[in-house]
Amino acid sequence: MKIFVCFILFSFSLFSVGENILLKNASIFLASQGDALVSSDILISNGLIVKIEKEISAKVDKVIDLDGLLVTPGLIAPYSHLGILELEMVPETRDDSSSVYTAGLSISSSFNPLSTLIPNNRRGGITSALSVPSSSGLFAGLASAYSLSGSLHQSLISEDIALFGAISSGTDSRSAKTLMLEDSFDAASRIINLDDWESVSGLPKDFFLSKRDIKSLQRVLSKEIPLVIKADRASDILYLLKFSESLGIRLIIRGAAEGWMVAGDIAKLKVPVILEPINNLPSSFDELGARLDNASKLYESGVPIMIASHEHATHNLHLSRQGAGVAVSYGLPWQEALKAMTSNVADSFGLEKIGYIKEGYSADLVVWNKDPLELSAYPEHILISGKLISGQSRSTRLRDRYLKIN
Amino acid sequence: MFVSKFLSIFIIFFLSACGSDHSPGSDQARSFQSTYQPEESGEFVIVGATVLTGAGQEYELGEVWVSNNKIVQSGVNLSYPKGIKKIDAKGKWITPGIIDIHSHMGVYPSPSLRSNSDGNEAIDPVTPHVWAEHSVWTQDTQMPLALKGGITTFHVLPGSANLFGGRGVTLKNIWSRTVQGMKFPNAPYTLKMACGENPKRVYGRSSGPSTRMGNVAGYRKAWIQAQEYKDKENPVRDLKLETLSGVLEGKILVQNHCYRGEEMAIMIDVAKEFNYKVTAFHHAVEAYKIADILAENDVCAAMWADWWGFKHEAYDMIWENVAIVDQANNGKGCAIVHSDSSIGVQRLNQEAAKAMAAGNKAGFTISKARAIQWITKNPAKALGILETVGTLETGKMADIVVWDQDPFSVYAKTEKVFIDGILHYDIENPSTPKPTDFELGLIKPEEDRM
Repeated sequence: MKIFVCFILFSFSLFSVGENILLKNASIFLASQGDALVSSDILISNGLIVKIEKEISAKVDKVIDLDGLLVTPGLIAPYSHLGILELEMVPETRDDSSSVYTAGLSISSSFNPLSTLIPNNRRGGITSALSVPSSSGLFAGLASAYSLSGSLHQSLISEDIALFGAISSGTDSRSAKTLMLEDSFDAASRIINLDDWESVSGLPKDFFLSKRDIKSLQRVLSKEIPLVIKADRASDILYLLKFSESLGIRLIIRGAAEGWMVAGDIAKLKVPVILEPINNLPSSFDELGARLDNASKLYESGVPIMIASHEHATHNLHLSRQGAGVAVSYGLPWQEALKAMTSNVADSFGLEKIGYIKEGYSADLVVWNKDPLELSAYPEHILISGKLISGQSRSTRLRDRYLKIN
Repeated sequence: MFVSKFLSIFIIFFLSACGSDHSPGSDQARSFQSTYQPEESGEFVIVGATVLTGAGQEYELGEVWVSNNKIVQSGVNLSYPKGIKKIDAKGKWITPGIIDIHSHMGVYPSPSLRSNSDGNEAIDPVTPHVWAEHSVWTQDTQMPLALKGGITTFHVLPGSANLFGGRGVTLKNIWSRTVQGMKFPNAPYTLKMACGENPKRVYGRSSGPSTRMGNVAGYRKAWIQAQEYKDKENPVRDLKLETLSGVLEGKILVQNHCYRGEEMAIMIDVAKEFNYKVTAFHHAVEAYKIADILAENDVCAAMWADWWGFKHEAYDMIWENVAIVDQANNGKGCAIVHSDSSIGVQRLNQEAAKAMAAGNKAGFTISKARAIQWITKNPAKALGILETVGTLETGKMADIVVWDQDPFSVYAKTEKVFIDGILHYDIENPSTPKPTDFELGLIKPEEDRM
């Protein structure tokens, strides 16, 4: 598996050189095997978690006594348009779609680490996110993973790591979409010399795939990256499972509102799903079976689940925590809800060194005042790559100005 | 949701020209009257719960005593008759029925289709003659889900494409074949107005307004016409001016969609110019910037806990907005948490919880007894129905929610929802809430959707 990794942690020359931090008396959710919280200290050096032990004594720049507060891995948003969207209804602030490129659309050159959405989401405990293009049509494009450090030089975690698409939205019918899906991959599989592909693709005239697009499909075919398809209807999910099995590709399903109806089938292929567990409405005829226990039913069947936020998703990625809380009140174990926002995301997208609290991993950590799924929870401390991050945002600045005026 | 509101420009109403009485405001007397009549509730008392009354109290081991569809009393050690039917709610929490002051249930239903998108008469910026109740689809699947979230009353507004969007209607959240059967008895009508980006986006390339100053000129022009109409002895009946003059007569309450601080201050002055009152600003993302002005003018603000960024006028959101409005001028502010969302309406308690937590973190001291008013008493006040609902005080409608735990927890679920003392949702009765017609046999012919 080839992933373009540029770990922030390995190039620390630009900020907080070698700061060593010791977190004392933490109650740690490791996000790995074993659900119990671990009472321990955490030693952080050069951006990495170097030791998780009781009673660590080390010469460090800073000691923070957590007095038993909960520490979790920084939360990872599995779906967002972070850094490529500032105001939803202001097109000139959006870089998340294309009418020219489809599967090949990469957003990595337009990601803006200074977007105001980043500090706002960080305040809610999100430390990294997949940023995904949102073009309508069969293929939306390629997602890249970013840290929410806000650093101009070191925000990218991993570039072009998954191909996103949808078979149920847009103007053409799902009948045509599924054929396009099959034909696209068929074309991509037959093309060896990309320079000749136009003559041999066999694609309909008005369904254009550029070289760049075909290359993305080929990366899916070689299992280098997963294909993430938005689908809610149970029969659509079954179709996709069959399709991915026939090509032997890595599939992830996003949405899966009716996933509970075919949970066993999804589990059998170990296909991960990205859920918005707070969505229980039959908003369209594709999701008539939407319900609040979808997450727990999928989990119980053995499906790896990821939890995403719902309304105004990219501005409020941290509301995945509220959705997770709702899923827990409808039967999902609390630990699994947390994994669905940390380790499961890292595993599903092959993100290395994040999503767990583990020695050798990036020190992306959130210290919580209380259960992070609770509505009154907030981070007491946020660390990204071992650096303590300010809880300030444009919003807190506005608050402080007007608290004085009022 | 709000996007579809602006896109739905193909909807035209055909209002029947019935009625012959031409005096202003007379329409309220005859047509479309509420036919809602609850069954007899009998007498019972719910005991052992933590009770948030909505009137400012929190009672441990509290009791709520109901008779004849009304609250007899709530508190502790009540002197209800021996042998009264008792509902044990030990360890549970009780609140008044939750009220959503900003809903589009029925007019932007779920499923959301172009064919049932009926909330914006987006053909003209001035449409005070359209009434939301003439669009409501009573079988909207959002309604029973909202009931499960504790919503007993909701206020349906037209969308915000227009300067004057039309009349809103307050409904009881009960299953009914007719809108009249849901109408909250004697609730005043409301008028939806909208500031800012939406009208200028919808009309900016056609008839206008295309600017905020154009918006304000549009309101003033219409109010001048309404003043003339109101002063006429026997005017030719005009549905637009009938609604507007109803506002000038104080019979119809203005619910004003408005985001920016300076714009809300302008709208308060427009109201002063024509001698009407803005009852509540809706969305009010920048209400915190003018919280003192709102409090001085007795104007409520209905807000989200944390929505932002979908438009430029929603860029300056702060999590403490609700709390700052609430605490303005030593706690004289009128803060409301609203949904405007099919997801949010199911958990307004959670939205209030986030807003309370943000306020307390910022240094305010806001109790649960206070914060529950943001979704009970205060919306009742702004809908003109506080005399009959919104708290658990003596004589009010017995709209009561029993929660399995503290409703400010993300894990809280409702267990029982009473409307006028009638149990419409009971966690122990799987046939409640009653599914909509749409949901019968929808997925499997033998089953309901849920």
